[in-house]
Parts: sequence; structure tokens; C-alpha cells
Amino acid sequence: MTEDKKPYVKPTIIKLQSGLMNKFGASPYYARKVRTDIDGISIDKLVEQFGSPLFVFSERQIRNTVREAKEAFTSRYPNVTFGWSYKTNYLDAINAIFHQEGSIAEVVSEMEYDKARRLGIQGKDIIFNGPHKSLQALKKAAEEGAKIHIDHFDEIDDLEKVADELGRDDIQVAIRLNLDAGIYPLWSRFGFNLESGQAMDAVRRIHMGGKLKLIGLHCHIGTFILEPDAYKTETEKLVGFAYQIEEALGIIIEYLDIGGGFPSKNKLKGTYLPPDVGVPPLDTYAEKATEGLYNALKPGDFPQLYLETGRALIEEAGYLITTVVASKRLPDGRKSYVLDAGVNLLFTATWYKYTIETDREVQGIGEPALLNGPLCMNIDVVDEGTLLPPLKRGTRLILSPVGAYNVTQWMQFIEYRPAVVLVAETGEAELIREQEDLSDILRRERLPERLRLA
Amino acid sequence: MKRLGQHFKTFFHSYSEIFFLQSPVAGAFLFLVTLTNPNVGIAGIVSVLAAYLFARLIGMSETFLSSGFFTYNALLVGLSIGYLFALGPLSLFFIVIAGIFTFMLSVMLNSIFFYYLKLPILSLPFVIVSSIAYLAAYRYSNLYVTGLYAHGETLSLDLPFWLEGFFVSLGAILFSPNVLAGMLFAVVILLASRILFLLAVFGFYLGATITGLMEGAMVSAFLQIYNFNFILIAIAIGGVYLVPSPKSYLIAGIAVAVATMLLDAIHIFWANYGIPAFTLPFNVVTLTFLYVLGLVGFPLVALAVRHTPEETLDEYISNIHRFRGSFRKLTLPFSGYWTVWQGFNGTWTHQGSWQYAYDFVIDKEGKTYRSEGTRLEDYYAFRKPVLSPCKGRIIKVISNLPDNQPGVVDKTNNWGNLVLIDTTLGYFVELSHFAQNTIRVKEGEWVETCANLGLCGNSGYSPQPHIHVQVQATAQLGAVTLPFSFHGYLEAECFVANDLPQEKSRVQPICATRTMDFQTAFILEQQFTFKALQGNQLVKTVTLSVRMAIGGETYFDSGKGKLFFAKDEHSFYFYRLEGNDPWLSLIFAALPRLPLVYRQGMTWEDVPPVSTISFGWQRQLYHLARAFYHRIGQVHYKAHWKAEGLIAGTLQSGFRHQDLPLEVVLHSSLGFSQFRVGERCLERQEEK
Repeated sequence: MTEDKKPYVKPTIIKLQSGLMNKFGASPYYARKVRTDIDGISIDKLVEQFGSPLFVFSERQIRNTVREAKEAFTSRYPNVTFGWSYKTNYLDAINAIFHQEGSIAEVVSEMEYDKARRLGIQGKDIIFNGPHKSLQALKKAAEEGAKIHIDHFDEIDDLEKVADELGRDDIQVAIRLNLDAGIYPLWSRFGFNLESGQAMDAVRRIHMGGKLKLIGLHCHIGTFILEPDAYKTETEKLVGFAYQIEEALGIIIEYLDIGGGFPSKNKLKGTYLPPDVGVPPLDTYAEKATEGLYNALKPGDFPQLYLETGRALIEEAGYLITTVVASKRLPDGRKSYVLDAGVNLLFTATWYKYTIETDREVQGIGEPALLNGPLCMNIDVVDEGTLLPPLKRGTRLILSPVGAYNVTQWMQFIEYRPAVVLVAETGEAELIREQEDLSDILRRERLPERLRLA
Repeated sequence: MKRLGQHFKTFFHSYSEIFFLQSPVAGAFLFLVTLTNPNVGIAGIVSVLAAYLFARLIGMSETFLSSGFFTYNALLVGLSIGYLFALGPLSLFFIVIAGIFTFMLSVMLNSIFFYYLKLPILSLPFVIVSSIAYLAAYRYSNLYVTGLYAHGETLSLDLPFWLEGFFVSLGAILFSPNVLAGMLFAVVILLASRILFLLAVFGFYLGATITGLMEGAMVSAFLQIYNFNFILIAIAIGGVYLVPSPKSYLIAGIAVAVATMLLDAIHIFWANYGIPAFTLPFNVVTLTFLYVLGLVGFPLVALAVRHTPEETLDEYISNIHRFRGSFRKLTLPFSGYWTVWQGFNGTWTHQGSWQYAYDFVIDKEGKTYRSEGTRLEDYYAFRKPVLSPCKGRIIKVISNLPDNQPGVVDKTNNWGNLVLIDTTLGYFVELSHFAQNTIRVKEGEWVETCANLGLCGNSGYSPQPHIHVQVQATAQLGAVTLPFSFHGYLEAECFVANDLPQEKSRVQPICATRTMDFQTAFILEQQFTFKALQGNQLVKTVTLSVRMAIGGETYFDSGKGKLFFAKDEHSFYFYRLEGNDPWLSLIFAALPRLPLVYRQGMTWEDVPPVSTISFGWQRQLYHLARAFYHRIGQVHYKAHWKAEGLIAGTLQSGFRHQDLPLEVVLHSSLGFSQFRVGERCLERQEEK
């Protein structure tokens, strides 16, 4: 029997520390994470089949999350409907999963509206938000019975014009409000302000116009909100305002849309606690939001409650597999790895410190490293400093959670956008967006004949 | 003219009531038959008139009189006296006072019987007054001298004794004991109700055979005139006061057997005084049986006696499926889908005095908790809002007990943190095991249904977070519990109006939407006009008016019929069809019940009466078959929301091979725009 030969380990440079444990808890040896598969399919197999970089979504994770979120609310309040926030991730396959789970569509532009309609969603099952809606878009939405949420006074004018054109006086609308829920920043640039009386002015304006029928109130207090009590304040204020409208004008508000803004289990840069500890569970948000409702609602009155949760439902279902293309040593002694995916694909890298996993066990102790993307830009930094053991070229890193906003805000800049894969509940990987090639980029381009070379 | 018609109707009703029919036509026919013996017939008229006029004199309202209910005994008395004495001034006077007395006795006995015994008076007043009249007549020598009526020869047909006996005793019910009258009566009964006819035959032959066997003389037993008692008992018990079914027939048969003994005894005893037995055996046996059956809560006792046993049966079969549950109705005390952990008479704690209680948990794939379930926070039910299942006054609140760790129970404070509500309806509702210090209501406060009471916890005798709800008889903690049921909930997306969910079933309460509540808020005198279409062909226009009956029940009146409707917290429903209007039947069949909430994927089922989809001889055939086996031809109604305001579904009946498709379109503001069942359709005409 021969003794096993010790594997070769690349040399590393680390600063010696003594005394107290470092407060970030990440020791050079321990905080090391390995992920060999996503929902049972090995990383190797995924890359072999679909290439690198590669976005991977877990269907099981999506369905579990949305079911749990729905449960958190429906087990506390009887009339709850989720509106899938298209902007968070509007790949058809992802939208379809949410719609299958009973969510309606929440869109913020004509493009998203058209996408939802094309997918087979009826107008009445679309919440049409956003500060910019063209006359044409408003007309289409009004004709198809969408839930139009008015953002400003000019939009009231526009919609009344549409009503005239269509010869109708019963277009159902809601108004977007902004209010002080006790948190910072105040999202006061959307909708009508509640506290200043602007919102009541808007309601009176709509009522006087006589062409639109106000049936809903909508508010969206912010994003990645870490204070659940804000939702209690929000719902109390919304219900209070609904009753104020009913008393003053006899208008019955049929639904309340409390927007989204629930955080995902992602680690914001500069936060101290890990998300599992620092981010309250969704149940707490549900408890607070419904507590506010029960505080303010008359017993037995249960107006329809809409939620536009996006991030919290999809973030953790998304992974990005990327490959180490090269490594270098920077003048300050740090290690830098060049990856085939950077901020071109990871818009959210600006705020988040992702979980970084390797696809295999890597020997050696961790050293501070910088993760750079493929762009020829100084800003292309995926992680400014993390502890990684020495990585060979070709090592795969799995970045997560990356499910929200990245596949809608990614850019094509100088690279082809990669494939997106869905791991089905049955355990098979299905391609839901092909990798781009030159034809995608050229499809809309027109080269004038006179500029044709040779 | 109309008034006169009403009087005639009342008058004829008196005749049909004797055979438990409520048909003026049958009554008129019976009346004519009694006139074949003018002396008897006219005596009957005089007596009824005397009773009727007296009733008017003392100011009894028309509604009470129109049914013939208070006058049929007077009729029988008149007939019985007319049978004995020829008409003359004296005998007419005698009839008049006897008629009035019978009427008085009918009203008095009815009041007493109804209030104290919950029993009908049947023909007891007749038996009493006729016996008195016959006894009194012994002293009225003057009456005998001038007026003993000599019965002429009646037409006699050469029939076998067993057939002759049947007809004669049938005729004898209206004091026309001859074959011809009996045959005519038989025809009337047959036309009005096949069930009654079969019961009449059954009662007669059973009674006569038993008597024959006991006495050892078949012929004389069959020809006994008082055998009509058997006929009446069989009819009353087997088809009228009990819902027609083999079990009812068995009881009717036993009653007939009992009556043979009674009849013979009365015969011997009464004969000493020269009084006929009349219908005394029938009255004694029927009343005794009905009283006992009512006392033990026999399930086949008919709650509402309709015009014919067929109608009673149809309504009964439909209603036992349609209106389940109890009158102590609670709303499920939570939001979303919860699972029944323990129901009535449950395995663990719902026993004995506390058997009427429900426990609910949230269950996902067989587990009520996530991860290990070692912390309270792992349990899905923990800290979920508990909503008030009823409205009422809070009379007791305990809120300060700690939540037990999972698997641990507090044996000292069984009920844990609790809320006790006085519903003011004579019962109290108690909810238990709230989380510590989460109860939001105070003693003395009034709460509405679905008000948030607090959060679900694990205090008291509770090994895992759950909601316990019970209805109790008094306000004391731990009082004896009472049966109740839940209304307005979904079980596997299927709407349930009022019932008890089974253990392990997943249920979710629903609340009516305000818009649909308004859509079904009909106001008296509103009118809706519909085009009635067969295929694409216009058949007629049907106008429905919203009316109110004397009892406060509301109905759609089409002129030809009445379709009664009602509303509860969660649904609008039709429950009775009177008259014979196929277009009202169409409405009933298309939408027996409308849940007042729209939810995609929601379904509901119902069992409308068979008469809503079958007509003419076919309907009669169904009725007859169902008199022997209730499940034959059962109509199964299934519906679902196709879109908001649009209902699609099917009607399926055991006799039909194909399901009938149906569709209902709700009107955007009030009522319905369209009903369609198969080829037939009602389309609302918009008023201009």
C-alpha cells in the first residue's frame, strides 16, 4: 500500500492575524461553500450542455416561495391576490409559472403589458402601473378592462380623453398614492401625496370628471424594506383614506394594492448580519400588514388586497454559473479573478454581496480576492473583496441569489447574453432563453446600401 | 266573480282534504259523486256552508279558510247526518248546529294539538261530533218519525268480493258506500297521486286480510264497510305525514295491523250505543304513531306536507341534500385554507358533554409545522389571526396564559386563553388557545362576524397551536356543548352552504362580495321580462314579478307559478316551485343556488328537485319510481365560474344518459341576463 500523494496547493499570501477573532466571521478555512449541483443536476452537466456563463432558475424554489408567500397572507386575510411584478423577471417561462400559481400580472410599461397579453393574460388580470403610459397604451388597457393605476393629474386628463374616444363613462381606475410610512427614503415621486391632501384632490378631480370610476387605491412604499412595521402604517393609512373617500363622496373602494418592497434573502453591501438573521421573514411582513388592515377595517369588510411582490419571490430561485477565465495578482497584493460574467449580467452587483460557491472542493486557505467581469471597464467588479482559496482556471463559481432584476436589466454591451435554463420540478433542465448570437444583434440593424463595404 | 270563485275553491277543498289532496278540481269531482245520493250530498253542502258562514261571522280571515282545512270535518259530519236522516227543517237545523260545532271543535283542537302535540287533528272533530250527534239523536223522536232516511237500491255490479269490498269502503269515506262511488273516488285518487292510490290498495288488502284471518271469514272481512280506516291509515302514514319510502310503508303496514285490533274492539264497544266506529281507529292509530315518530325524531317525518305525496317526496329528497347543517351556523374562524384536526365526537378530547367542538390546524403535506416542529414558530397556525365566527357580545376573555412548548399541555387551565361570545340567539360560542396577550377584544364589547379576535396560540390543553371552537348552552366555562355547523366555506374549491366538514378535510371560509350582494337584492314589485326560447325559436315572453307571500317569503311570480327564493350570508337560492310553469322550472334547474362570491376555479354542487327538469308523464314516472327508491333519477347539478358573472355547468339525472349543459349570465347591476338549460333558454329583455 502506497501513501496518498499530497495534492499540489498553489501558494497564497495572507495577512497574519492574532488576538481577537475577526468580526466578519469569515475565517480563511471555514466560510467556504461548495455547490456541485442545482436541484440535482450537476454544474458540470449544465455548463457542458448550455455553456458558461449560465443563468439557472429552480422551478421548485419559485413555486415553494410563491406558495409560502400566498399562504402567509391568505391565512391572515381572506381576499388576497398576488400580482407578479413583470419588471423583476419577465421571461415567459417565469411569468407562466407565477400565473399558474394564481398570480395576475403587474406591469409598468406598454411593453410589459403587451407581453402579458401575448402570454394569454386577460386585460382584467393585469395591473397597469408606471409613470409613463402612452395614450395608445391607455386606450388599449381601458378597452381590455385592465386595472389602470393613475400616477399623475395629466394621466387623469389622458384617461378622460380615452373615455371620450371610447364613448364610455365607466372606465375603472385606481390611483397611486405616496405616504409617510415612517421609513427612509420616501418614495414621493410616484403618485399623489396623501398627507398633503393631493390624493384627495385627485379623487375629487376624478369624481368631478364623471368619466372614470375609482375602485382601487395603490401604494408602494419602497424597496428592500427591512422594517415590517412600515406596512402596518401603510395599510392603516390606505384603509383610513378609503373610508374617508367613501364618507365624502360615496365611492366604494373595492381593492387596496399595497405594492411590494419585501426584501429577499440577499446580503446588502455594508450590512453586518447575514440575511438569515438580518432580514425578517415574510411572515412578519404579512402579520404587520394584516394587523394594520384589521386595525383600520370595519369588521366583515374585506376589500380585495393586491400584492406586487417581485424580488422576494424570485431572487433565491436564480443562480449564475460563471467560469474563472484567468487570475492575476494586483499591485496591492490582492488576487484578482477574471470571470466570464460581470456587471453586464449582474446589475444588482451594485448593492449585493452574493453568496459565492465553487463547483468543487478547492484546497488551500482563502486569501482576499477581487472578482472582475469580462468588460473592459474599471467598474466591472462583481465582488470587491472576498476570501477565496486559490482557484484554477476553468473553476466554476456559482453566484446567488441573482433571480431578481438581473435578467431584465442585463445589458448586451460587447458580449452575447448567455442562455437561461429552468430546472423543472421533474429534475430536467429546460432551456427558456437561448444564448444570443450575432444575428440577434444584427436583426434590427439596417446598413444603408452606400455604406456597404465591398 | 273572483271572490265567488275563491268561495267555491274553499268549498271544494273541503272535499279533497278528506283524501289528503289539495286540489279544487279533485274536490269538485268528489262533490259531484256525493250528489249521486242527493240527501247525503246536500247535507254535506249545508254543513260546510254553516261552518263557513259562521267562520265569517266571527271574523276568521279568508287565508285561514281558503285551504278547506277547518271545514272538511264539518263536511264529514254533514254527510254522516245526511246519511241517517232525510232532509227536512228539523234535520237541516240539526246539521247546521252540528256543522258549526264541528267547526268550533276543529279550530280549538287544532290550536291545542298544534301547540302542545305538534299533531294534525285529522278527522277527530268529525268522530266526536258525529258520535255526539248519533247519541243525541236517540232522544230526538221527532226527527226519527219524520226523517229517517231510507236508502234506495244502489247500482250493484257483479264484482268479486275482494274488489267490491275495496270500492265500497272507499266510497264509504264520503258516506257513499257503493261500488260506483268507490270506483269514481279511486279514479280521482289515481289521477291525483299514484302513490296515494297504491297506498289505499295496500292498506285495504292488508287490513282486510288480517281481519279475515283472525275472524276466519274472508268474505265478510273484506266486505266490512269500516275497512276504509285501513285505507286512510295507509295513506296518512305511508304517504302524507311520512315521506313516501319503503320504510314509511312498513310503518304504515304495522299501523294498519294495529288498527285491525282497534277497529274490532271499538266495533264491539261502540255498537252497544249504536254508534258506528266512523274514523276513530284511523284517528287513534295515526295520531299515536305520528306523535311517537315525531318524539323520537324519525327522519322520514315530512317537515312540509305539499299538495301531493309526490311533491312532498320530491322536495324532501332535494332538501335533505340541499339544506344540511343546522340552524346554529358559524363562519369558519380564520382566513385561508385550514385543516380539520378534530370534529364532533373526536378521537381525543371532543367527548361526552364536550363532543360538539371543532379543532383546526394548518396542514401542508401531512405536517402542521416546518423543519423539526420543536419551536412554536415552526407551526403554520401559530400567530395567525382568529376571526369571530358569529356576531355577539364578548362576555369573557382570558388572555394572559403562556403558550406551551410544542407537545406540552396545560392541564390546569384547559381552555387556555379564550373568548366567549353571547350570540343572543340562545347559545354561546367559545374559542380557545389564543396566543398570550394577543386578544384584541374586551369583555362587554360587541363584535361582528369576522372581526379579528386575536392570534392563534398554544395556551391551555393544547399540544400544538390550533383553534378550538365550540357552541355551548350556557355562559359558564366548560358548559355542555351543542351541535352546530359551519356555513359558507370552500372544501377543495367546492362551495358548501352549510354543513359539517369531515376530519382531515381542508376548508376555507368565503365572504360574499358587495357587488354580488347588490346583484341579488331584489325589491318587491320589480319586474323582469325574458324572451323564452326553444333553440332559436321564440316561444313566448315571460315576465317575472318580485312578490311576497303572507309568511314573508319572497318569490318570482310568472302568473302561472311561483318560484320562492331566499338569501343567506353567502348565497342566493331558490327553494320551492309552486304551480306548473316550465320556465320557472328552467330557472330553478339552471341556478338552484348562487354563491355570492366569484373565485376562479370555484365549483358548487346541488340537488334540485326532479320536477325542475322533467315534465308530464315522465315526471310522474320518476316520482313513482322514487317512491320506492329515493336515489333513482336523482338530479345532480354541478356548476363553476367560467368567468366573472358567467356560470357554466351540467345537470345530470339517473334516467338521462346525457348531461344537460347549462349556462347562467348574471346581469351587471341586478338579477340575471340569461338562463340556459339544454335547448331552452330565457333571455332578459332590457327595458328601454
